[in-house]
Amino acid sequence: MISDLLQIALRDEGVYDELSADGVAPRLHWAPFIQALQQIHPDELAKRWSRAERRIRENGITYNIYSDPLGATRPWRIDLLPLLLPAPEWRVIEAGIIQRARLLNTLLGDLYGPQRLLASGSVPAELLFANPGFLRPLAGLIVPKQAYLHLVAIDLARSPDGQWWVLSDRTQAPSGAGYALENRTIVGDILPDLFNAENVSRLAPFFRAQREALTHLAQREQPRIVLLTPGPYNETYFEHSYLSRYLGFTLVEGADLTVRDRCVYIKTVAGLQQVDVILRRVDDSFCDPLELRADSFLGIPGLVDAIAAGNVAVANALGSGLIETAAIMPFLPGLCRQLLGESLKLPSVATWWCGQKYALDWVSNHLDQVVIKPAFPARLMEPVFGADLGKIEKQKLADRLRARPLEYVAQEQVALSTAPVWDNGRVFSRSVVIRTFVLNTGTDWVAMPGALVRVAGDESSVVSMQRGGHSKDAWILSDTPVDPSQSLLRPRNQPVEIRRASNDLPSRTADNLFWLGRYAERAENLARHLRTLITRVRRANRSELACLIRLHSCLDSRRSKLPKKRPATADELEQEIISLMTDLKRGDSLASTLAEVQRVGGNVRERLSLDMTRLIGQMSETVQVEEYMLFVEHSALLTGCLELLSAFSGMERENVTRGQGWLFLSLGRRLERAMHVARQVREITSPLPEEEWPLLDYMLEVADSSMTYRSRYFTTLQPVAVLDVLMMDDSNPRSLDFQLSHLVDLYQKLPRHMPEDLRAVRHALSLLRSFDLETVEYPLPGALPTLSGSDERVRLERSLKELERLLPSWSNNLSNTYFSHARSLPITIGE
Amino acid sequence: MIYKISHKTTYKYKYPVSFGNHVACLTPRTAGHRRCDWNELRIRPLPATRSERIDYFGNQLSFFTIKEPHHELVVEARSEVSIDDEVKPWSDAPMPWEEVAREAPDDRSPEGIEAYQFVFESPRIRPSPEFAHYAQQAFTPGRAFGDALLDLTARIYREFRFDAKATTVRTTTEEVFRKRRGVCQDFAHLQIACLRSLNLPARYVSGYLRTYPPPGRPRLVGADVSHAWVSAYYPGIGWLDVDPTNNLVPSRSHVILGWGRDYGDVSPLRGLILGGRDHTLKVAVDMEPLEG
Repeated sequence: MISDLLQIALRDEGVYDELSADGVAPRLHWAPFIQALQQIHPDELAKRWSRAERRIRENGITYNIYSDPLGATRPWRIDLLPLLLPAPEWRVIEAGIIQRARLLNTLLGDLYGPQRLLASGSVPAELLFANPGFLRPLAGLIVPKQAYLHLVAIDLARSPDGQWWVLSDRTQAPSGAGYALENRTIVGDILPDLFNAENVSRLAPFFRAQREALTHLAQREQPRIVLLTPGPYNETYFEHSYLSRYLGFTLVEGADLTVRDRCVYIKTVAGLQQVDVILRRVDDSFCDPLELRADSFLGIPGLVDAIAAGNVAVANALGSGLIETAAIMPFLPGLCRQLLGESLKLPSVATWWCGQKYALDWVSNHLDQVVIKPAFPARLMEPVFGADLGKIEKQKLADRLRARPLEYVAQEQVALSTAPVWDNGRVFSRSVVIRTFVLNTGTDWVAMPGALVRVAGDESSVVSMQRGGHSKDAWILSDTPVDPSQSLLRPRNQPVEIRRASNDLPSRTADNLFWLGRYAERAENLARHLRTLITRVRRANRSELACLIRLHSCLDSRRSKLPKKRPATADELEQEIISLMTDLKRGDSLASTLAEVQRVGGNVRERLSLDMTRLIGQMSETVQVEEYMLFVEHSALLTGCLELLSAFSGMERENVTRGQGWLFLSLGRRLERAMHVARQVREITSPLPEEEWPLLDYMLEVADSSMTYRSRYFTTLQPVAVLDVLMMDDSNPRSLDFQLSHLVDLYQKLPRHMPEDLRAVRHALSLLRSFDLETVEYPLPGALPTLSGSDERVRLERSLKELERLLPSWSNNLSNTYFSHARSLPITIGE
Repeated sequence: MIYKISHKTTYKYKYPVSFGNHVACLTPRTAGHRRCDWNELRIRPLPATRSERIDYFGNQLSFFTIKEPHHELVVEARSEVSIDDEVKPWSDAPMPWEEVAREAPDDRSPEGIEAYQFVFESPRIRPSPEFAHYAQQAFTPGRAFGDALLDLTARIYREFRFDAKATTVRTTTEEVFRKRRGVCQDFAHLQIACLRSLNLPARYVSGYLRTYPPPGRPRLVGADVSHAWVSAYYPGIGWLDVDPTNNLVPSRSHVILGWGRDYGDVSPLRGLILGGRDHTLKVAVDMEPLEG
């Protein structure tokens, strides 16, 4: 394999290969790594790799590709082989990116402040005024400690002569640091010995410094810091949830925050709590629909005014996107001398901004040698490679440039360096770009000792995660000892809390957790229902079939209506069962319910343990039916599904701290279960003819209470006894009594009380307990129903119906009290 | 000349609004011969918070939030503005317009830099060859800037029809250009697009225009409207106002609220509300001359 590595290294002589200079021997700093890698048997490596892949899938590490039909669930693609960089080389890069970050920060301070650079002509005024990234409402506002930039990402590429060049700067909400962190944990897991032997610089101190830096941005002790995300549909949402968990910040969307009295507050289930610092991953102009883009649904109306009042710090400062323009690059060497009194250490890739006359002329005549890009990233445009164009197309392009020269830049295309990529035991050589990160600690600037390496998806030299590229870890091989105790995460198998007592629970999150509880419980009930039906429908006699059909009809409730046409024969029932199990077009199917579990679970994954996230990830796969699968085999699928659902509810009980998050999760589960049990119990309050008594057995199975029943009554099925187990038995966790008494407990723990509903739940519970089942005369086989005593049964039936009406209303009330203000989006008027 | 102005905006909502975040640009601007002597905002329901801020263009913005649930929001701006009787319409701007365009990028004086930003595209105005072509009917080679500017103003006045039903606040300038119809805001945007397409700095002015009743009839209270016009930069003199809706040069009948790149920078009242959904809007402006 290693010989492969070296052979392919020289595939393209025109580029720098990271691994080998001559295609014969690895570069010096790679040698020990290659040697150690050779000690690992390829099969073993493959095994470790597939473990890692499974972990990526199950942990829900994703990068959303907008055009991908898989949508929000595209797994993150990472390569097993890290990119190695020796310490001396890294020190050069480090000095270069730190200087650049300082420069960009100083530049922003002038452009949003006194604008001396315009007056002196050091920065052409067009560059500012034609730039949609220049947000006028932010100009002149005071930025604490002049820290416009908190974190900067700088993309670097290496040219054939070994020199690193800056390709682009990300200054408003740079992504990738979290992916770099996750890559490190994965690759570190696959190659632990190599990682330890290589003395790799650790990433953890960098993130600790980031935490501290954000804390220092606040005006008060123990500030409340939130991470603002555009939401689960954003391409890097995984990273937002990962970082929020890692850094210990509450993950919020714009709708979770509100501005009152020129301060920013988070809407939590306990009320409004003031926010001091916002680490944001929402683009500049989307952050405040009142003063910036009115059509943004991602922002917080009034945020700019809160910033103006000095009541909240935003990192990076709003408006920082201004200098993401490549048009600034040609001016940086001069600006660096002028502003920092130093020469620029790390060059930018050759860039011409067509807004300058001579540049436009040069570019028009040398289209072959350049890539044309939008000068301002806000304008969406695919890069155009001049060399790919015919004569007429070139002319057209030149005309476009002349018509709106300010809007275009041309860049030289760097022949990117290549690095080895491992793919199923084979090795390929691929172009790479590295994304580095620099942090402003408030007093100093530090670089993350590592990088997110992005790898071209094929042999081309276009590196883009949006186009399906891979990523790699980067190991900086330190020449001083590193402290191995600086680990990144707590061991994964430790219980992870949904919410710490000090952490705020945003109303939107509570909403999702509540529905996670409801959907998970609904799925469990449905799966049990279906399994009970499947195992019996083929061998059922006439009366048993009637019972099964009746059992199926129990799925029809106030909340969810079954199709009008009900199955009448075994064949029809079979069809219905399969449809109910797999049909994603039916909202009431198991497949849809599991999809909902996955959706709401995905919305709160930063609140769930990795194990819980993994279970959710596996669930929907369990009901994927193969085409030629036998009908009876479906029950095995359902059993698999139930195992996951039970494991999930088990973790919910045992591995989740009893905070507010758990409270809403449990409320959802208890309310949903109570709805199912009430509906089922009502079915058997009316007298059953003896031939329908098998229904009792089915009911017990659906309610997972067969064991409970047998332990009490052995095998004799008695309707009253079944009613007792399902309704009154407060030691049976599936009984109605159990649900209601737990609801009473949960309602008492709610952060703001709902006295009326608590009273109503209590009332329902005492009503339930008021029934003496022994007086509910239930006709025995052969006997005619007597008139006496039937009153009690009618009262019971009526109470159950009333309860079926009340349960959804309690759910709605919870929604209105705790979640609804997080749901309504502000509407713009006057625009 | 002193004006007493009332500008009343009423939003009626179909469903209650639980929270509202608003910003108003309703304080007349003191500049040149115009002075805002007094101004107040009356807001119902009473705002929970209010604050003022001067924006990037020097306009005064008022921010307010309303916390109590309401079906109706009334914002009334009352002002007194005095306009120096000395003010005369500008008359002479003889430099060829090409020279004005050529000088704009090179003028690094504070006024020059400030003016230069109004050459570029803004959210609602994108310069284009079509606008340039239209403008060139007035801006013929070598023509004096002032003459060309008045000619373009007159052309827009002649060739575009005032039609309040033809457009909304969301109508693009290109569409106005195609339809040849619109209101003051549209004509201002259009003329600015034309000027910027020739690399001439032009800004949007929001304000009020005094209206005169028909001869022999009393002045109708509340019949006036908020108004918009155009200001173009001429080096050495400064900003020259023209009103394409009325084909005149603003002087003592025009009161300025603020200016910016386009309507979006100086919309008189905007906000974000929770709830409400459907709403109706009524605006009543009354501009009463106290003397003169």
